[in-house]
Amino acid sequence: MRPEIRSVQDAMERHGYIAEPAIATAVFLAQEMRKPLLIEGDAGVGKTEVAKVLARLMGTELIRLQCYEGLDVNTSLYEWNYPRQMLRVRIAEQEGRDPSQIEEMIFGRSYLLERPLLRAITRREGPPVLLVDEVDRSDQGFEAFLLEVLSDFQVTIPELGTIRAEHVPYVVLTSNRSREIGDALRRRCLYLFIEHPSLEKEVRILRSRVPGVSGQLADEVGRFMQALRGRRLLKSPGVAESIDWVDALIRLRQEHLDVEAVQQTLGCILKDQNDIRNLTADELSSLVQDSRPADLPTP
Amino acid sequence: MTQPDPIVRLARFARALRERGMRVTVNDELDGMLALELVDTTDRSEVHLALRTALKIQRRDWETFDELFGHFWAGEEFASSAREPPKHRIPGASAPLRKLLHGSEETLSDRKSVAGGAEGSLPGYSPEVLLRRKPFDECAASDLSAMEKLLHRLVPKLAARHSRRLVPTRGRGVVDLRRSFRRAIGTSGEFLTLARRARALEEPRLVLICDTSGSMEAHTRFLLAFVLALKRVARRTEIFAFNTALTRLTPWLSSEKIAATLERLAANVPDWSGGTRIGESLSEFVAGYQAQLLNAKTTVVIFSDGLDRGDTALLSSAMRAIQSRARKVIWLNPLLGDPRYRPTARGMEAALPYLDHLAPAHNLESLEKLIPLLAA
Repeated sequence: MRPEIRSVQDAMERHGYIAEPAIATAVFLAQEMRKPLLIEGDAGVGKTEVAKVLARLMGTELIRLQCYEGLDVNTSLYEWNYPRQMLRVRIAEQEGRDPSQIEEMIFGRSYLLERPLLRAITRREGPPVLLVDEVDRSDQGFEAFLLEVLSDFQVTIPELGTIRAEHVPYVVLTSNRSREIGDALRRRCLYLFIEHPSLEKEVRILRSRVPGVSGQLADEVGRFMQALRGRRLLKSPGVAESIDWVDALIRLRQEHLDVEAVQQTLGCILKDQNDIRNLTADELSSLVQDSRPADLPTP
Repeated sequence: MTQPDPIVRLARFARALRERGMRVTVNDELDGMLALELVDTTDRSEVHLALRTALKIQRRDWETFDELFGHFWAGEEFASSAREPPKHRIPGASAPLRKLLHGSEETLSDRKSVAGGAEGSLPGYSPEVLLRRKPFDECAASDLSAMEKLLHRLVPKLAARHSRRLVPTRGRGVVDLRRSFRRAIGTSGEFLTLARRARALEEPRLVLICDTSGSMEAHTRFLLAFVLALKRVARRTEIFAFNTALTRLTPWLSSEKIAATLERLAANVPDWSGGTRIGESLSEFVAGYQAQLLNAKTTVVIFSDGLDRGDTALLSSAMRAIQSRARKVIWLNPLLGDPRYRPTARGMEAALPYLDHLAPAHNLESLEKLIPLLAA
C-alpha cells in the first residue's frame, strides 16, 4: 500500500473511523483528483461518517445539505432576506430615493441568506467539506442542478451576477439507493460502495466508538450481528445499530449477551415489526448461543 | 503490471466491461488513468480498488468486474471481442421472437378482411375501436404500428400525480416571495400582484416485470409495445423480463422503433419463450433491485398468467417484500379477458393476497383502462 493511502487510513483511524483499504483508497483518490465522492451502501454502514471524519482530519468546516423531496434552489443555494429588504425599501422611499437606486441597495450581499451550497463555495478560509446527504431523496430536477454546481463550482444569482468558488470544496455525496442516481451525476463523481464490516472490523469499531465496552461484549455483539445479517431481513442492521445496542447493553449493566437481555433490547437492532416477529425464541437463543466465545474457537 | 502500455490495456479492459453491460465511458477511462498515476501500480489490490472507484463500478457488477480484472491484471487478452456475442446471449433464442415479429401472413389477411368489412357495414364503428378490442393473440405484426400510434395518444395521460416540488404557476398556489418581491420593485415596493408557486406534476415511477415464457408468447409483443410507449412518458420506468431467470431490460431499451428493440431483446434475454419460474424470478428481483427501485412512489406492474412451475412459497415471500416497499402492485393477467377464467392457477393464488389490482391485459382497451391506475 502506498504510504499516502496508509496515512489517510491512519488519520481516519485517529479520528475514530476504522477504514478498510477500499475506503481509504477512495478518500485518497477523491482528495487528490479533486472529484466528488459518491458513497452508497445500506443504512448505518457509516457513509455520512466518512464526510465528518474527512472534515475533522483536514481541520475544516463541514457544510451539510440534507436532501429531501421538494428541496429547491431557495433552500439549498440562497434566499433573499425579504423582511429586511422590505424595511429598507420603506426607509429609502421616505428618504426620497429613486427605484433603481433602491434596487441596487437591497440586492446586495448583506441581504442575501446563504444556504449550504452557496456557503460551501464562498467560504474564504480554505476549502470546506460539503456533504450532500441522501441525494437519492431529492428529485431529478434538483439532481440536474446539483450536477451543474458540482461541475463548475459557480452559481449565478440574477441580481448579483456569477459567484465563483473561492476554494473548490471537497464534496461527499451519500445515497441509500432508495432510487437510482442519474448517470450524469454518477459519472461526475468517484464511487465507493461500503459494505457491512467484517467481524474483526466491527469489533474494532465497537471498541473505539463505545469506550466502556469490554472486549468480551464487543466480541459477542459482533458475532451476533454478523449472524443476524446473514438472515433474510427486511431491514438489515448496520454498525450504527451495533453501536447503539452496545451502549444500551452497557447501560443495562450486561457483561454478556443472554436471551432475556437480547429480547429486551431487540428494538435497538431490528427496526421492522416483521423482522422481529419472524425471529422465533428458538432462533434467538441459538443466535445468542453461537455468539458465545465458549462454543467457538476465538479467531 | 507486465505489459508496457497501460493506456491500451485500460481501454481494452473498459471495452470488456462495456460488453458485459457496465456503463464505462471515455471519461471514466480518463479517471481510471488519473487514479492509476496516484496509486502503487505494482500492488494488485490497490489497483483493483482504485479502478473500481474511478470507473464507478456499482455493487451489483462487482463479481463480473473482479473476474475481468483478473484478466486485466494478468495482461491477458479478453475472451470476448466485438464479433463474439456477450456471455449471457444465447444463439438461436431469437427464432420464436422472429416468428412473433413477422407474424403469420394468414392473420394479416384475416385482419384486413375483418377491418374492411367493418368499415363498410358499420359506419361510425371505426377500425380504431376494432383495434382496441382485438385480442392480442389474434393480432398480426402489421397491427403493431397502428397500436403504437394509438398508444402515443393515450399514454401522456399518465403524468398526473403532483410532486412536492413547487414550480411557478399563473393560477392558485402559495405565494412566491422571491418573485413577488422582484415584481414589487418596479412599483416602489407596492405588491400589486403576487407571484405564486404550486406543486409540480410528476412523472409516475413504474417498474414493469414481464413474463416472456411460452404461455405468454402471443401477448408479450404487445405488452412490450405498451411498455415502450409508457417509457416515453415515464422516463424512469424500469423494465424486467423473466421466464426461468430475471433479466433487466432497461439498458437495452431505447426510443427506436419497437420492432428493432424487440429484436435486440430476443437476442439478449436467455430462454425467450421458455418455461416460467415466477417465484425464483421475483425473488431475484427483490434481492437485486428492490432497494434501489422500489419506494413509496413506485408502482409495480407484473405481466404474467401466473402459470408457475416453481415454488409458490418463494412467490408469496417475494410478493410480500414487493408490496411492503411499493406504492401499488398491479398484476396484469391476459387470461382474465376470458369471462370464465378464475384466478386459480397456483402461482396466481399465491400472489393474490399481495395485489392492489388484478386486471386483464388481453387487448388494447384493457391496457387503456390501466392507465389511470398507473397515474393515480
